[in-house]
Amino acid sequence: MFMFIVRRVLQAIPVLFMVSLVTFIMIRSAPGGPFDEDRAVPPEVIKNLNERYHLDDPLWKQFLDYIANVVQGDLGPSFKYPSHTVNDLIAAGLPATLELSFYALIFALVTGLTAGIIASLKTNSMQDYIPMSAAMVGICMPTFVLGPILLLVFGIWLDWLPVAGWGEIPGDKILPSITLGSVYAAYIARISRGGMLDILSQDYIRTARAKGLSTSRIVFVHALRGGITPVISFLGPAIAGLLAGSFVVESIFQIPGLGRFYVTAAFNRDYTMILGCTIFFAFLIILFNLLADIVLVWLNPKLRQELEARG
Amino acid sequence: MSEVIKIPELSQLEKGRSLTQDALARLRKNRMAMLGLYFLLALIVIALLTPWIAPYSYEEQNLELGASPPSAQHWLGTDILGRDQLTRIMYGSRISLAVGFIATAVALTIGVLWGAIAGFVGGRTDAVMMRIVDALYALPFTIFIILLTVVFGSSLLLLFLAIGAVEWLTMARIVRGQVLAIKRQEFVEAAISMGLSPARIVSRHLIPNVLGPVIVYTTLTIPSVILLESFLSFLGLGIQPPASSWGSLIASGVEVMEEYVWLLFFPGLILTITLFSLNFLGDGLRDALDPRASRD
Repeated sequence: MFMFIVRRVLQAIPVLFMVSLVTFIMIRSAPGGPFDEDRAVPPEVIKNLNERYHLDDPLWKQFLDYIANVVQGDLGPSFKYPSHTVNDLIAAGLPATLELSFYALIFALVTGLTAGIIASLKTNSMQDYIPMSAAMVGICMPTFVLGPILLLVFGIWLDWLPVAGWGEIPGDKILPSITLGSVYAAYIARISRGGMLDILSQDYIRTARAKGLSTSRIVFVHALRGGITPVISFLGPAIAGLLAGSFVVESIFQIPGLGRFYVTAAFNRDYTMILGCTIFFAFLIILFNLLADIVLVWLNPKLRQELEARG
Repeated sequence: MSEVIKIPELSQLEKGRSLTQDALARLRKNRMAMLGLYFLLALIVIALLTPWIAPYSYEEQNLELGASPPSAQHWLGTDILGRDQLTRIMYGSRISLAVGFIATAVALTIGVLWGAIAGFVGGRTDAVMMRIVDALYALPFTIFIILLTVVFGSSLLLLFLAIGAVEWLTMARIVRGQVLAIKRQEFVEAAISMGLSPARIVSRHLIPNVLGPVIVYTTLTIPSVILLESFLSFLGLGIQPPASSWGSLIASGVEVMEEYVWLLFFPGLILTITLFSLNFLGDGLRDALDPRASRD
């Protein structure tokens, strides 16, 4: 198990390096320098800026310098806000984004698993059709349609919940979390239904039934562990999706999170911010994929034995 | 135990149906998939004919009218500049569908070639090619596309290429898996032993067998591509004004949704129904073409 983790971590390093390299090259090959503004900038200023950011060095040296800093956890200064470093901006936006993604994930897991498990126990009944149709709607309705509609209905027409902000008015975290989580709730419902159906048709479940165990005991003690493994392997990609989805949700509900910063940086062409954030996002996604894989192995005794056999 | 084994009547046996006819018959029985198919066909025809059948011209403004709710003259209402919303949605569907189909075609080409080569050649080539796919899977793609639009400025061509370039991974995996499985089947060994050329084996045996999953996955890629384009346009990073796709129509609808809810409602509805139809059609095709494949 330990060797497995070490090997996966070692695999992640070249991927991160490639992401940094590709992003760096793309940013640098952008037509027009980062300081292209509508107004003419005096040549001395450009010269100073170039020196400040070492833009005169050969590209490979710039990249190596940059990587050396990134490894030490320093993503450099922001191009647009020279008084801020990219680290500052990420530190300012990250808590809201992580919190939002966390609540969305909790919402997705609770509603998705409940719906999926109930549907798998009552196949081809109303308790199956209704949640599964709802899941199809959830998958097909984009976040940027669902979010504004929820906001309009619950925030404005019914006036039950605040329409914007994060942690300012009680309840302002509810709508964004539901908006972000709904697609994943839908996927989790479908996946857990499929996973549970596979497990429930196994012999050992029949044995448990024959022993006269209660349905709840069969579901929670015997079936759930195997039934939710597909859900766990979905969580890695889901978290990547949650981060991307937070871009939209943060702009709809005006949440000062990383996604909103990133989109603003994209508009402002804040090159170092985009570079730093991209690498940081890649890091997060690789990290969460890694965690999902570890949990997957930990939950599945067969995989664990296989790994131990291989050493 | 006493169940009677039904023997098909002789007349049914005689008829004999090809696998394609069989699949089509299965698809026709799936009502949701057929509804989706009809909706999409109608949508495509309308999108193609838009310049001739749109009730108003794309640029036509009526500032005096302003934003008006749906009426007999303007079935889906008008936006704040008094532009007919039905017309704008019709023109928007041209862009959204074009991105959906062309970017999917790009993804399809890369994915099928990559997967087929990896699966067919095998060995070390296969290992390297699939490790690359694994590594790319770990990347934050939405973020990468945003990056591309920042670097190169957003244009329709960029959207085609960028979205296509990130959506091919699953296709490559599916095709490789199929090719590997088929390569080991006896009928391919038989073909090889009979001295058929590789080109003939590929065209006669591999491609027809890979086609089913490819068609299914293509149908499921189109909605995710359309969604991705709308997502970018919603953020203002995709289609730039005066052109508009469904995503940018939704974005401008959100700005005024408190007063003029129809400007959010109709573009959102048409996008959702389109995604719905494509997903149902994809699921239906999967059930029809590969009855063994389980859902989810």
